[in-house]
Amino acid sequence: MSEPRSLPVAPETSPWDTTGYWGPTDPEQHPAVRLVRERFPDAFQEVVVFRDEVTLRVVRQALRDVVDFLRTHPELRYNHLTDITAVDMLYLRERPRFDVVVQLYSIPRRQRLRVKCGVDDGETVPSLVPIFAGANWLERECYDMFGIIFEGHPDLRRILLPEDWDEGHPLRKDYPLRGYRDYVQPGFESPAPRIRGTLRRPGP
Amino acid sequence: MIDFSQPTPVILSEVRQITPTRRELVLNMGPQHPSTHGVLRVRLTLEGETVIACDPVIGYLHRGVEKLGESHRYAQFVPWTDRTDYVAAPSNNLGYVLAVEKLCGIQAPERAQYWRMIMAELTRIASHLVWLGTHALDIGALSVSLYTFRDRELILDIFEKFCGARLTTNMMEIGGFSREIPPDLPEMVRDFCRYFPKAIRQYEDLLTENPIWLARTKGVGVIEPEVAINYGLTGACLRGSGVNYDVRKAMPYLLYDRVEFEVPLGTHGDVYDRYLVRIEEMRQSIRIIEQCLDQVPTDGPLMAHESRYVIPPHKNVMTTAEDMQRHFIWVIKGFSPPKGEVYHAVEHSKGELGYYIVSDGSPIPYRLRIRSPDFVNLQSLPYMAQGAMLADIVALIGTIDIVLGSVDR
Repeated sequence: MSEPRSLPVAPETSPWDTTGYWGPTDPEQHPAVRLVRERFPDAFQEVVVFRDEVTLRVVRQALRDVVDFLRTHPELRYNHLTDITAVDMLYLRERPRFDVVVQLYSIPRRQRLRVKCGVDDGETVPSLVPIFAGANWLERECYDMFGIIFEGHPDLRRILLPEDWDEGHPLRKDYPLRGYRDYVQPGFESPAPRIRGTLRRPGP
Repeated sequence: MIDFSQPTPVILSEVRQITPTRRELVLNMGPQHPSTHGVLRVRLTLEGETVIACDPVIGYLHRGVEKLGESHRYAQFVPWTDRTDYVAAPSNNLGYVLAVEKLCGIQAPERAQYWRMIMAELTRIASHLVWLGTHALDIGALSVSLYTFRDRELILDIFEKFCGARLTTNMMEIGGFSREIPPDLPEMVRDFCRYFPKAIRQYEDLLTENPIWLARTKGVGVIEPEVAINYGLTGACLRGSGVNYDVRKAMPYLLYDRVEFEVPLGTHGDVYDRYLVRIEEMRQSIRIIEQCLDQVPTDGPLMAHESRYVIPPHKNVMTTAEDMQRHFIWVIKGFSPPKGEVYHAVEHSKGELGYYIVSDGSPIPYRLRIRSPDFVNLQSLPYMAQGAMLADIVALIGTIDIVLGSVDR
């Protein structure tokens, strides 16, 4: 048996000495935008600022290199992978169909950054698992829900749905809310009624 | 030890190659095992009692909450957030309404923000109490769970007084609160703050120096700081490893920059350190609540004065025609935030809970993503389980503090 340990407490000011939100309104001054544009002039596509949040759009082939650059560059150090998800842009534009969205956070610099790349059905996105171990499940979920293939992922299989699920990818916009099939409820002869249709939304 | 400086994928089966000459046994733990905290199935490959591979299988509670969010209006989704992490419902409400408020560009009045902080911190305590009770129960300490559930009742009483519900509270609204705070609620919260430090000492008397507890938790499930960051862990799992990241301090939301509190950090990153971190977090929550009660204005608006986005105050709906019409339109048609995308995170009792919303200008979110802390933290289970004993697996599942409703969503 060993003695119980006392718990150190984080110092009051360090390392949180900035406000955490990026101040200037000109996105070209953002260090990540400037450095990524210098280092990847061909891959950089655009930068969008909305509600103090900076979004970088890059080409899909360069996603892993850009994220690795953002993680390792001593001025940026976006070392924490917060989230990977996707958006089905079916109703919003023609091509590419999906956006893969990577949320990064810099623990030392207290800043968030969002990196996006477009990907069409049948194309692949470089996996981030070689850079962040935490990308594993997040990419599996993306594959499960949207059918996006992550190239180089060590174990790309369904995660939330059963492995033998044969009805496609539910978070795609053309996937009906109640599935493709009518399920007969036990005790009822007719299928469950479709009480809720799809809500209408403005067209593209 | 996995070398993360090398660009190689982390696959457990490659870290420990399983050869057919070994005498191995595949054991399915769960999904209905009592220590899996819900419906988690863990596929364990054992050699004797040593775990050589561990594969968590999830999805048994998957209800497609994100898809439902993309088919409901913004305000209709608030009750669904309760059902994701059902032991800490107000914190889920808070993360969602703050994300929608950020999207709309509105802010709740100061009084509502203080009450949101009080409710969020009470939720953190209630959630940690459920964790402490069940975690200790897993490891074999029965009486702690009786005490923690006894004290959690006091918090649920406060919730019931505040909004009428105990578990799925649905208490936060976009823009603030539409109903008045009950007049005797501050005294109830103060009574709880006076009582609770004694209760924490009681739990610590039972566990902190208990030799069985020390033997079962110290040096078990160690996560090094660089590994914790690499896995994207947040909350007590990250701070137990000594990484100084708490959303309340790093990117303050509500009025957390006006209250004083400390962030406890672990040093060894094992189960015992995560236990100490959560115990200390409960003390700090009490400190935050007391400061909020001292600072909160006794009267003033509770709802943002932004008629485009918020529901009219409940008492005005029944008395003025204009508010009644607004209320009708708000309920039937909803409201349309501007086009854009936001991500807002709050420090949930389990870690960073984030909502990512893409708006196309219609009353329904185009994309609603829940970044659940439990889902990300659970990824570290195979890493912690390498070479552990079978009996340690229950301690490891408990120390992550998962709620399967939040993992599967």
